[in-house]
Amino acid sequence: MPDAMHDRLKALSETARTEIAAAQTAQQLEALKGRFLGKKGELSAVLGSMGKLPPEERKAIGEVANTVKGELEALLEQAQKRLEDAALDEELKGPKLDVTLPGRAVAFGRRHPVSQTLEDIVRVFSRLGFEVYSGPEIELDWYNFEALNVPADHPARDMQDTFYVDAHWLPKGVGPVVLRTHTSPVQIRTMLAHKPPVRGVMPGRVYRKDSDQTHTPMFHQVEGLLVDETVTFAELKGTLAAFARAFFGASTKTRFRPSFFPFTEPSAEVDVSCVFCGGKGCRVCKHTGWLEVLGSGMVHPNVFKHAGYDASKVTGFAFGMGVERLAMLRYGIDDLRTMFENDARFLAQF
Amino acid sequence: MRISLKWLSDYVQLPESVDELARRLTMAGLEIEGIERPAEALKGVVVAQIVASDKHPNADKLSVTKIDWGHGAPLQVVCGAKNYQVGDKVPLATVGTKLPNGVEIKQAALRGVDSSGMLCSAKELGLSEESSGLLILDAAAKVGQPIAQALGLDDVIFTVNVTPNRADALSHLGIAREVATLFNVPLKKPAVTLNESATEAKTKIDVRIEDAERCWRYAARVIEGVTVKPSPQWMQDRLKAAGMRGINNLVDITNYVLLEYGQPLHAFDLDRIGGASIVVRRAKSGEQLTTLDGKERVLHVDDLLICDASAPLVLAGVMGGASSEVTEKTTRVLLECATFQPTTVRRSSKRHGLHTESSHRFERGTDLHVVPEVIDRAAALIAELGGGTVLKGRVDAFPTPKAPRQVTLRTQKVADVLGVTVPAADCQRILASLGFKKLSGDDVQATFEVPSVRVDVAIEEDLIEEIARVRGFDAIPEALPRGLSELEPERPSHRVERLIRAALAGQGVDEVVNYSFVSPAELAAFESGAEAIAVSNPLSVEQSVMRTTLFPSLVQNVIRAARHQAEGVRFYEWARSYRPDSSGGQGTVPVAKETLEVAGVVWGLRHGARTWTAKDAEADYFDVKAIVGAVLRALHLEGVTSESFESPWYHPRSATLLRKGAVVLGTLGELHPKVAKRLDAPAGVVLFQLDVEKLQDAAVLVPQAKPLSKFPVVRRDLAVVVPAEMQSEAVRKVILEVGQPLVEDAQVFDVYAGHQVGTGRKNLAFGLRYRSPERTLTDAEVTEAHTKIVAEVTRRLGGALRT
Repeated sequence: MPDAMHDRLKALSETARTEIAAAQTAQQLEALKGRFLGKKGELSAVLGSMGKLPPEERKAIGEVANTVKGELEALLEQAQKRLEDAALDEELKGPKLDVTLPGRAVAFGRRHPVSQTLEDIVRVFSRLGFEVYSGPEIELDWYNFEALNVPADHPARDMQDTFYVDAHWLPKGVGPVVLRTHTSPVQIRTMLAHKPPVRGVMPGRVYRKDSDQTHTPMFHQVEGLLVDETVTFAELKGTLAAFARAFFGASTKTRFRPSFFPFTEPSAEVDVSCVFCGGKGCRVCKHTGWLEVLGSGMVHPNVFKHAGYDASKVTGFAFGMGVERLAMLRYGIDDLRTMFENDARFLAQF
Repeated sequence: MRISLKWLSDYVQLPESVDELARRLTMAGLEIEGIERPAEALKGVVVAQIVASDKHPNADKLSVTKIDWGHGAPLQVVCGAKNYQVGDKVPLATVGTKLPNGVEIKQAALRGVDSSGMLCSAKELGLSEESSGLLILDAAAKVGQPIAQALGLDDVIFTVNVTPNRADALSHLGIAREVATLFNVPLKKPAVTLNESATEAKTKIDVRIEDAERCWRYAARVIEGVTVKPSPQWMQDRLKAAGMRGINNLVDITNYVLLEYGQPLHAFDLDRIGGASIVVRRAKSGEQLTTLDGKERVLHVDDLLICDASAPLVLAGVMGGASSEVTEKTTRVLLECATFQPTTVRRSSKRHGLHTESSHRFERGTDLHVVPEVIDRAAALIAELGGGTVLKGRVDAFPTPKAPRQVTLRTQKVADVLGVTVPAADCQRILASLGFKKLSGDDVQATFEVPSVRVDVAIEEDLIEEIARVRGFDAIPEALPRGLSELEPERPSHRVERLIRAALAGQGVDEVVNYSFVSPAELAAFESGAEAIAVSNPLSVEQSVMRTTLFPSLVQNVIRAARHQAEGVRFYEWARSYRPDSSGGQGTVPVAKETLEVAGVVWGLRHGARTWTAKDAEADYFDVKAIVGAVLRALHLEGVTSESFESPWYHPRSATLLRKGAVVLGTLGELHPKVAKRLDAPAGVVLFQLDVEKLQDAAVLVPQAKPLSKFPVVRRDLAVVVPAEMQSEAVRKVILEVGQPLVEDAQVFDVYAGHQVGTGRKNLAFGLRYRSPERTLTDAEVTEAHTKIVAEVTRRLGGALRT
């Protein structure tokens, strides 16, 4: 009887070994596991008939059965690993992805070239230690003109064609009111709100009644103001030259030309060496080698007076630049108007 | 404002170089916006005389002329015009001349007759828009003389941009004064010699100013026995050069003196002035005036008028009236030279929409004290060119003569404002040359009398500006305000970093910061046997080697996220990888090779969690490809190719090398399953890695705008069945190449592999956009191009068109 059981276990083990070795799929292995080692499997069946044996023999057969069970479990595990490895090898040898297909894109927006340029201008002055100030766009004539030493009926008003606000929309007794023609009124507001020294840039939208290839009724300026006890024209030159080098490139040269702005004295137009030809002369700079990019000057004593500063105690310089102009030079944009058409093809280029 | 250099040289010795003169004026604040050299366009054209003219033997409309051109034997020239007579002087364009309209004159035979040159019309010489027949020159013109000289065009014209403050520069004398100062040469004012008759002008005319606030000065002179006729050619040439037109000698003289001094004048027919009196007053309500332009204008009570005893004659400072205008019959002239309040003139000019040479100058401010000199100059010219007699004296109403302004200049203040010390002697010399008279003072401070022509100068800062601009802003050094230090331009690397990080944020990729050291086992799972720099005293073995790639850390980030039940993550890290460098450590060379990388990982659900729009979408290779694409696009990097390659850590099916030309920018792919297994990482991890320095080198930081086509796009789809292993880019390349120049773009929009196309094959569908920058494409030409693309794709790639 014990010998018979012994033989049955041996046969079972051999059958199982052969079949496990032959298994080709995970399902076959699973089936073999159930058939041999499951609760109702063949090994359980052999062990179930052990109850008829005397205890000492039962123990000996039990040991044999456990050995067989252990062996079969190890074999099953090895077989499983073998199958997995084979499957992976098969997969790795499988077809390649078409890696030249485009990615599954998430829409990726861009900032408007004017906004990018404005940010870059302000960044340069921020690094120089200028604060950013802002003021209203719908502005009292007083801040926009009078306080900046541009009285009514003065020819300097011809330099800027102005949009006026319909009195109907204004609080009683307020006016005249304009859409600011430059960011300069923020100078006045800043000085009225802060004691000297003041060192600020004032970016924003401005409006002029003008529309053609080189003018749009709305555009952007960045104004700058530095007021302290002893600020000199030399420092104005140094600051703007530093800006030009930081913005246009280290080799950029600057040229200061006398000009006229009612709110500065002396006043200067600032030219930079042409960014396209390096100053040799080309179509963009009209063969002069220079590009006009900034207006500037020493703050006029009348402006200080209007801003409540004592002109005998402080001096200062101010400057202003058109953001669109700089953006056009930077990106090679020919027509100012395209800036505000917001053609998607245009916007996607920057 | 247009300035004739020929005219200017009457008053001041000009430097030899026109360009230098323009540069100096520009740098002193009088910007020269344009320089015209009319003579240059007429080089090769000379005065010639027609000495004979015969019919052309072979052409009815042509004549054959003999031309004396002052240089040897007469020339034979064939001519098509009829408006000449033998003996006329005409312009001859000699052989070799290039006319302003681009025509080049060659020795030629016209209908079988030799012709050596061309006789020209005014239009052909660019002198007028239209002309019929030859330009017949003055009989006095000298044969052989360059035509520019004969026509008074041997001049150079500057266009000067005069800023609104520089009223003093709105004239030839004003510019001459500036040139004299800048080049330190004397100014020669016109000499005025006036022969007055015994009769006093005040017996003929009475001047009364009723509004002295608006009219500051009114001077009049009377000239009798004048003959109105055209002014001489030289004067007309000068007016023309300055942009004005000759009318008659009286009007031309007032314009000439205006352009000479910047002071407007007006000539009345004295016989048309009622009551022999001039009254300067404001308009009455409802009053009307017909101005010289023929328009009847209803006046405003704020308008200032020049009137006779009963009616308005002139809108003061703006425009004369028709009723008192000089005509051919005029013999007695009243000449007006006045000073008006600038704001009054400006308001009238705006109100009536009349901007004139006169109002332009009055509203900027004219010289109160130059009035006598100017009116005498004009009167002398009228007597000289109109043959009249100037009556004795000026009738000069000058109610409140203003004392000249005085301004004190402190030498120290100059330095305080400009930031450079200018010696007192230099300040005073510059101011003196500009006409400022030193009244008192020393080297510390001095008081100056402002010349009356400088209506813009009132305060110390104005004097400082004069000094600064005459010395030149170039003579002021550059300095930085206290507390500021010199700026370097933003480094390209900073910009690239900002752009890459913004792109990654835009793709929803979160930044992680991992330790630079990892466990040797993690590293080995990626790169067995990699040489990594080890730390000799690590805190733990888990942090003992410097990573040679950022991937082990990123995969650990995913494992951790998965352990915390995250359903999907997107991470990137901006850091260096480190490799030993056998030649490192010498001098300042770093010991190890440190490469700045941006690397990232994506795993799990595409949107980080289940969403109702995309319930269980797992991110895959193509999500990471899009992230990398966004980075490349942010840097405007075009033409980056993707190709398969072999790598120990990427799955062979998706390992991708990104290349721009020969430069490898980075890699991406699915994590190799064996590596994942070794690390116990979840399935579906996809990685990318980019070399920041290589990106920096290749990045286009300032893209240049491309023109946009105004014409419509024609869309066509193209579907082609190709072998399954063929990459879509290969097909796209053929489409774009063959489709030149009409195909703007081609994008894959579908990939299908299935039983319908057969095993081992796949269908690729492309959307093509056809567009021309020049025209609207026709259906036929698009079809033709499309057919050609289909044929080429099939031929070259063994594809089959799918219908």
